Amino acid sequence: MTCPYLEYREGIEGTPTERAYCAAVDEFVQPMRADVCNDRYDLSHTSDCEFYREAEGLEAGESADDATGPSSEEAD
Amino acid sequence: MSGYDDYLAGEPVVVTVALTGGVHGKEANPNLPETPAEVAAAAADAAEAGASVAHLHARKPNGERAFSTERFQELTDAVRETTDLVVQHSTGGTGAPLSERRKPLRTDPAPEMASLDMGPLNRYRHLTSENPRAMVDALYDEMAERGIKPELEAFNDGHVNEVHGLLERRDLAEPYHTTLVFGGGTLTPARPRNLLHLVDNLPEGATFNTLGFGPHQLPFATLGTVLGGHVRVGLEDNVYYERGELAASNAQLVERVADVARTLGREPATPVEAREILNC
Repeated sequence: MTCPYLEYREGIEGTPTERAYCAAVDEFVQPMRADVCNDRYDLSHTSDCEFYREAEGLEAGESADDATGPSSEEAD
Repeated sequence: MSGYDDYLAGEPVVVTVALTGGVHGKEANPNLPETPAEVAAAAADAAEAGASVAHLHARKPNGERAFSTERFQELTDAVRETTDLVVQHSTGGTGAPLSERRKPLRTDPAPEMASLDMGPLNRYRHLTSENPRAMVDALYDEMAERGIKPELEAFNDGHVNEVHGLLERRDLAEPYHTTLVFGGGTLTPARPRNLLHLVDNLPEGATFNTLGFGPHQLPFATLGTVLGGHVRVGLEDNVYYERGELAASNAQLVERVADVARTLGREPATPVEAREILNC
C-alpha cells in the first residue's frame, strides 16, 4: 500500500517526468524517500516516514502499527 | 600506503566523480544527470576535466532508485561508449535487501570496481542503512568471484575498524582502496584533524579517497591531496559550487579539484594510471 499523501506531479526543472510529491508537507520528495512512500523493498511509510507519522499524529508516541509493522532495523 | 611522501613525490591523484547518486535528484539541482544519456554525457565532460573513475547509481525514468542489472547495464554501456573511465557501480541501498544490492554487480562486463559500505548509516528520522557484516561479506564475495575491486566506504571512524575486520575475514588484494567520508549525522565530523587520525588508523597497504559532503567537498579534497590520498567529488555528494550557488555540472566540480591538485604539484591521474594505482 502506498502512502495516502503520495502524489505524482510534473514541475521539477530539467525533467518532463512526474515526480513523487508529498501532500503532507507540500513538497517534492527525494527519489530515495519515494521508495518509502511506495513501501518498496523493506520500507514502510507507516513506520519509516516522519512526514506521514506527523500528519497522522503518530510521531509523539507508539501506535499499534509500531508494534507490528516492519522497521528498518529488521531489514535485509 | 598513501601518504605525505606521495604528495612530495608528485604522484597522480585519482579523481572519482560521483555523478548522480540515489538519494537526491533534480529536485535538488536540475543540472544533476539522471538518465543514462545524461550520465554518460556528464561522465565524458568529467573525464575531460580530470576524472578517472565514474561512481554510478542507476535510476528509473522518473529519477527514483533502480537496482536491477538491466538498468545498470543500460547505464554502464552508455558510460563505456563515451569514456574510458574506470567504471564503479554502487552497491549501496538504504532499505533494499541483499538480493537487490547484488544486482549492480551482474552486468556484462562486470564493473571494474564497486562500492562496499562498511557499516550502518542513519537516514532521515526513522531509517538506518544497516550494512551488517554478513551483507558486507556476501557482497564482497560476489565482487571477488567476478573480479571486481571493492571501494571500501568508511562513513565514520568505527567503519575503519570494520575495514580491518574485513581484512581479517577475507583475502583482499592491495591496495585496499577506502573512501573516508566527512559530514553530519553518522559521518565523521568534518574537522581536519579527524582526517589525520583516520589516515593514521588505516591498514598498511591502503589507499584512500576523501569525500566531504556539501561545503566540505573542496577543503577535504584539498587536504586529501596534500596527505597523498585521492579524492571523490560530484553532484551525488554536493550540489553546490559555492555557498548559495548551485553547481553547473559534475565537470565543474572535477575541474576545481583537478586545478587544486595541479597547483599542489600532483596531476590528475588518467584512467590508465588509475587502473595501475588501484590495481583494478
